[in-house]
Amino acid sequence: MTAARPYPKTPIPTRATLHALQRFTAGYTPALNRQVVAAGGFARWFERQLTGAYDDRWATQTAAWWPSVDATPEQVWKRHQDGVEELWRADANYQCWSLARRIGSQRQVLETMADFWEHHLHVPAAGEVGPFRASYGRMVRARALGRYADLLQAAVTHPAMAVYLTNANSSKRAPNENLGRELLELHTVGRGQYDEDDVKASARILTGWRIGLWRDWAVSYDPAHHWTGPVTVMGFSHANAAADGRPVVTAYLNYLARHPATARRIATKLARRFVSDAPPAALVSRLASVYLKNDTAIVPVLRALVTSPELAAARNAKVRTPAEDVVATWRALDVRLTAAPRNGDDEIAANQLLWQTASLGLTPFGWQRPDGRPDDAASWSSTSRFLASVDVHYTMAGGWWPRRGAAYRAPASWLPAKKLRFDQLVDHLARNLHGQRSTPLLLRVACEATGCKPREVITRKHRIMRWEMPRLLTVLLDSPTHMTR
Amino acid sequence: MTSSDQDGCAEFSRLSRRGLLRGTLAVGAGIGVTSVYGSAFVQTSYAATRSAPAVLVVLSLRGAVDGMSLVVPHGDPVYYAARPRIAVPAATLLAKDGFFGLHPNLAPLLPMWNAGRMAAVHATGLPAPNRSHFAAIEEVEDADPGSAARVGWLNRLIGRDADTHPLQAIQLGESVPPVALAGPQASVAVESIDDMRLAGADKWDTAGRRPRSMRTMWAGAPGPLGVGARSAMRAIADYGPVRATAPGPANGARYPGGDLGKALAATARTIRGDVGAEVITVDHGSWDHHADLGTLEWGDLQRMTTELASALAAFFTDLGPLASKVTVVTLSEFGRRTKENANYGLDHGFGNVMLLLGAGVRGGYHGAWPGLTNDVNADLLVTTDYRSVLAEVVVKRMGASSARVFPGFQPEQVGAIA
Repeated sequence: MTAARPYPKTPIPTRATLHALQRFTAGYTPALNRQVVAAGGFARWFERQLTGAYDDRWATQTAAWWPSVDATPEQVWKRHQDGVEELWRADANYQCWSLARRIGSQRQVLETMADFWEHHLHVPAAGEVGPFRASYGRMVRARALGRYADLLQAAVTHPAMAVYLTNANSSKRAPNENLGRELLELHTVGRGQYDEDDVKASARILTGWRIGLWRDWAVSYDPAHHWTGPVTVMGFSHANAAADGRPVVTAYLNYLARHPATARRIATKLARRFVSDAPPAALVSRLASVYLKNDTAIVPVLRALVTSPELAAARNAKVRTPAEDVVATWRALDVRLTAAPRNGDDEIAANQLLWQTASLGLTPFGWQRPDGRPDDAASWSSTSRFLASVDVHYTMAGGWWPRRGAAYRAPASWLPAKKLRFDQLVDHLARNLHGQRSTPLLLRVACEATGCKPREVITRKHRIMRWEMPRLLTVLLDSPTHMTR
Repeated sequence: MTSSDQDGCAEFSRLSRRGLLRGTLAVGAGIGVTSVYGSAFVQTSYAATRSAPAVLVVLSLRGAVDGMSLVVPHGDPVYYAARPRIAVPAATLLAKDGFFGLHPNLAPLLPMWNAGRMAAVHATGLPAPNRSHFAAIEEVEDADPGSAARVGWLNRLIGRDADTHPLQAIQLGESVPPVALAGPQASVAVESIDDMRLAGADKWDTAGRRPRSMRTMWAGAPGPLGVGARSAMRAIADYGPVRATAPGPANGARYPGGDLGKALAATARTIRGDVGAEVITVDHGSWDHHADLGTLEWGDLQRMTTELASALAAFFTDLGPLASKVTVVTLSEFGRRTKENANYGLDHGFGNVMLLLGAGVRGGYHGAWPGLTNDVNADLLVTTDYRSVLAEVVVKRMGASSARVFPGFQPEQVGAIA
C-alpha cells in the first residue's frame, strides 16, 4: 500500500503542545491553537491563562442564561417557594452552566482548575444542599488559582458543605462527626494521619453553626451550641475556651492546609488529574514541596507540573470522564450554543448538555459520595459508558440531537478544497478534531466505516458529503484518541 | 466490496467459531489476553454463553445501612435506652421472636420470611472497625487483606473456571463498576438493558461496516478503556436473548418507582434471558443517615426500607420458578453507632446485619448477639466475619472454593445457607 497523502495546509500544534493542551483545557480546537500561536507559544499562553489575561465574557454571559446561577441563596429559595424553579432544577442549571463554561470559555485553565477543586471539595449538585450549590461553585471558581488555605476556609465554612456533610446544627451535646471526619480524610491529610479521637475533636471544633434547614435556610453561628474546652487534632492543640469557636476553626483549617500530608494529598490528586492514574512518586514529592514552599499557593505548583518530564511522558494516559467526553465532543465538532434556555426547557441544547452527561453515567458534580467522582480509567471504561459515549458521538456527528439552540457545521464545511482524496480528507479531519495528523489505523477504520478507498476523490457531490458525513465524523470521535486526553 | 471488507469477512467467519476463541484465550488470563482476541468480536450471538446453574445477586446498601433498624434487637434494653427518639417500637415489629424483630416496613418480605426463604445474620462485619466509607468499601469488596492487588472477591469468584465471558458478571443500574468486580476477569456494567447496543449499527448499515470498523479501531487499544470497548462489543452480541425477552416484569410483579426497582427488574430480565450471568451486582443508597434517619412516621430510613422491601418482593415474584436458582445477599461497608445523635441520625459504627433471600437460604435469625453498651461512641460489635456468610454462599450455592474467593481466611459455620 502506498503512503497515505496528508493535508498539511491545516495547521496543528507540536505534539508536546497538543499534549499539554489536552490536559489543561476541555479539548483541542483549531481556535485554541490560534490562541496559543498568538500568545507566542504554549509557555506564554499558559502564563496568560494563569494571570487571567483572557476575557471572561463567555462565563458572565452564559451565567445570565440561568437566573439562579448568579442569584443569592435567599433569591434561589424564594424562586423555589414561588414555584418558579425548584431547588433540584437550580442545581441542574448550575451543572449546565459549568458545562457551558468549559465548552466556550477563553479561560480554559481557570475552568479546568475550578473543576478540579470542585471535585476535590465535592458537594453534590443534586438539590440536596438547599439553595447554596451555585454560590458554592462560584466561590470555588473565584479561588481556583489562589491559595488552598483560603479555598479550604471558604469551602469548609460554606453552608453548602455544612448541609451536605451534616455539620449544619451539629451541637456540643452530640457533635455530628460527618464533616469533621471527611475534612481530615478527603479534604486535607488523608487516612493514616489521625485516629478516632482526632475525628471527635475535629467534629467538636466545627460545632456552633445553625442553618434553618427547609425553613428559611438562614445561616448563623450560635456560641451556645459550640463545644468548648481543650481540643487536640494530630499536632494541633487549642484551649478553645471562648464561646465563639470560629477563630479556632480558622486556626485549625490553617494548620490542616499547611500540613505536609495535605501537601502530598493535593499533589497526588493534581498529578493523578493531569499526569496519570498512578503518578510517579518523585513528581508528587516535588509538587508537594512547591506547595509548602509557596504557602499553599497553587499557581507555582501548576507551573512545576506543566514543565515536568513526567507530564510530557504521559500522552493519552487519561480516560475522559463523562463530562469531559461530552464537552470535548462539542468542541471537536465546533458545535456552538446559540440560545439561552427558557427555564425548565429540557430540549434546548444548553440544558440537554446535562442529560448527555447523565447518559454517559455521571452529571458534573452528580457523584453521590463525598469523595468526588473517581479519576481513573477503570471507573470510566465500563460497557455502559463506552456505548453511551459512542451514542452521543454519533448523534452529534449527525447534528441530530440536541437540535434547538445548537449550531452545527454543514457537512460541506469539513471539505477544505473543491476536491480532495479521501485520505487527505481524513488527515484534515484528524488535524481539526484531534489536533494531530491521521494515522494508518484511523484511515483504515475510516475506509471500513464508509466503504471509501484512500485514493477516492471526494467532492461536494460525493455521497460522503451529501449524507454520510456522520459516519466519517463519528470515527474520529469514537477513537481512543478522542476518548482519552 | 473493498479488500479490507473481504479481510473483515474472512476474519469474521474464522473467529466466530467459539472453539478457536477459547484456544486463543487459554494462552493466559486477564486484561492482556482480552486484547489478543480484540479482533474476534462477532456480530451475531454464537451461543457463547452457557446457562448459569445458580445466580448470586449482591445488593450493596451503600453509605452503611443501620442494621439495628432493619432487624431490631428489641430484647436488648440498651437499644431503646440509646435511641430514645429513633428506636423502632417493639410493638410494631414483624416476625418477632424473643430477641429480634423486623422493621414494620419490611412487610412486603414477610411471606418470604414466613416461608423460610429469608435469613438475617446480625453483628456481621469486618474483623476490625473501619469508619471511612471509601476505605471500608475497598476492604469489604477486595476481601483479600493479604494481597496488595486490587482484585475484588466477585472477580475471583467468576475466575474460578475456564469461562471468561464478560456476561458472567454484570452490574446493573450503575455504570461505574464496583470494587468487588475489579480485576483480571472482564465483566459488564450497564445502567439499563437498553444501553446494550452500538449506535450506528442500524438498519441502514446494511454491510455491517459500523461494528466491523469499531472492532478494527479498538482491537489493539491499550488499558482499561480498550478492554471495556472490546467487552462491550462482545457483550452486545451475546445479550440478544435478554433483549428478546418481554421488557415488562412477569408473573404480575409490581416494582416500586426508583432506581432500585429498575435495577432489580433488569436483573430479573437478564436472568430470564439466560445469558450465563452468574453474578449480578446492584447498588442502592445512600443509606448514610447521619441526619433524619427518623422515626416510623417520617424520615429516610422508613421510606427507603419500604422501597427496599417492595423491590425485593417484586423481584422474586418476577422471577417465578427461576427463583429456585437465585440467591440475594445484602452488604454494607459498616454498621452505624448504637446511640442516636442530635440530628435524628446515627454516625459511623461497626457491626451490621446481612440479609439473605431466595435459593438455599435457611430462614430466620442467625449470628451471635454481643450485647450493646450505651455509650456515645459504642458500636454493635462484630461476632461474625462477613466473609463467613459470603463463604457459605459461594461454596454451597456457586460451587466455589472459599480459599480461592477469600484467600487466607478460615470461615466459620453460620448456617444461613443449606
